[in-house]
Amino acid sequence: MRLNLKIWRQAGPNAAGRLVDYVADSVSTDMSFLEMLDVVNEDLTKKGEESIAFDSDCREGICGTCSLVINGIPHGPDRGTTVCQLHMRRFKDGETVTIEPWRARAFPVLKDLIVDRSAFDRIIAAGGYVSVNCGGAQDGNAIPISKDIADAAMDSAQCIGCGACVAACKNASAHLFMSAKISQLALLPQGQVERQRRVLSMIEQADAEGFGSCSNEGECEAVCPKEIPISNIALMTREYVKAVLAAK
Amino acid sequence: MSSRIRVFATSVGTKLLIGITGLALFLFLITHIAGNALILLGPTAFNHYSHALTSNPLIPVIEIGLGLIFLVHIYKAVTMYLGNQQARPVAYQVKKGQGGPSRKSFSSTTMIFSGLWLVLFVVLHVKGFKYGPYYASEEEGVRDIYRVVFDIFRSPLQVGFYIVSMLVVGSHLWHGASSTFQSLGLDHPRWTPRILALGKVLATVIAGGFIVIIVYVHLFAGQVGQ
Repeated sequence: MRLNLKIWRQAGPNAAGRLVDYVADSVSTDMSFLEMLDVVNEDLTKKGEESIAFDSDCREGICGTCSLVINGIPHGPDRGTTVCQLHMRRFKDGETVTIEPWRARAFPVLKDLIVDRSAFDRIIAAGGYVSVNCGGAQDGNAIPISKDIADAAMDSAQCIGCGACVAACKNASAHLFMSAKISQLALLPQGQVERQRRVLSMIEQADAEGFGSCSNEGECEAVCPKEIPISNIALMTREYVKAVLAAK
Repeated sequence: MSSRIRVFATSVGTKLLIGITGLALFLFLITHIAGNALILLGPTAFNHYSHALTSNPLIPVIEIGLGLIFLVHIYKAVTMYLGNQQARPVAYQVKKGQGGPSRKSFSSTTMIFSGLWLVLFVVLHVKGFKYGPYYASEEEGVRDIYRVVFDIFRSPLQVGFYIVSMLVVGSHLWHGASSTFQSLGLDHPRWTPRILALGKVLATVIAGGFIVIIVYVHLFAGQVGQ
């Protein structure tokens, strides 16, 4: 199949970018989306042109590195998947496909389709961890955690920090990302000691990074490759209220 | 977090404050339409209700409180909107609704515009009724607000403006009525779907109810003396 691609090209962080037209010939329906881009890049290299810069790593949907907005949807049209899990059979012969980077002030474009997502690292560094000594590995039954709680914490822990939630949100808000980590740790015994200072610090950091607020539309939940629901954001709000009331 | 005041300055605190004030305004609107429905019972019931309200010494205090709630809701919503605009300085060339579990709607994407329309509407509404013409009723000291209502809605222009404004109210509530619960952190697998549905039902009932009253008054305005 043959696709008409419109791809965002931007030489550097401060350069002006624009959509550039490319034609992808002989695309196999079995290719992944990133493999299709690899082939386009090989052709560009053969022609002596600069290849298109895009992020990828594991190519199995677990690292959160790939980050493309495809035809207006972060990670493309399939629900609960990353770009690397998207296959070309999802597209029609002759279709025009627009590919853009994540757009947010807190995610500046470094080059072409690659953005700097270190703002997420700084949010996690502000409190998305357990630093108290939990001792050695516990016996599996020493700290009872009910199945419901364990499942909920695990669901929140699935966040791979890809940033699609920010990319989809009209406000470029990081609330879903933050709330997933806050929920995961608030639900488990190991997270209790730092529970209050965690939520306050992470929210403060996210605001300082320039992410927007939340309008409760749930566009983030719709594009999340791990289908993390916005009920996590409600839990984060409750954590925030509790932390504020308990603050000394 | 050094100061308690800063609690409401964060992105989550802003949501909380918009949610609390929005809920208060929503509850006010329910009492407002319940009171307005008395117009269907005739001048005596409506004027007595109005008199009972305006002669209550607590009303000025409540009005100031309501005014402050309005101002906080508007201030926080506008500043949040401006901040959110800055969070994405470069727009997408192509952007679609994400579908699936998303609650995005025409209503949710136009909250700032419906809200700003309502600011203008509330100013004109209060000016037209509360500070509008004073007609004495047959009872000593009781204002004939019933006649003011019929006077205003005799004009097709006013009817048009009010119906459009009530549709805007409905649109604002379509997202806002249920969104306020999420803003306050209230979420439950069993209750949230019901709250979302109830929000849309109440938005329709409130906007529709006001429109019914406006149309009723307009249709029967000829029978009330000018």
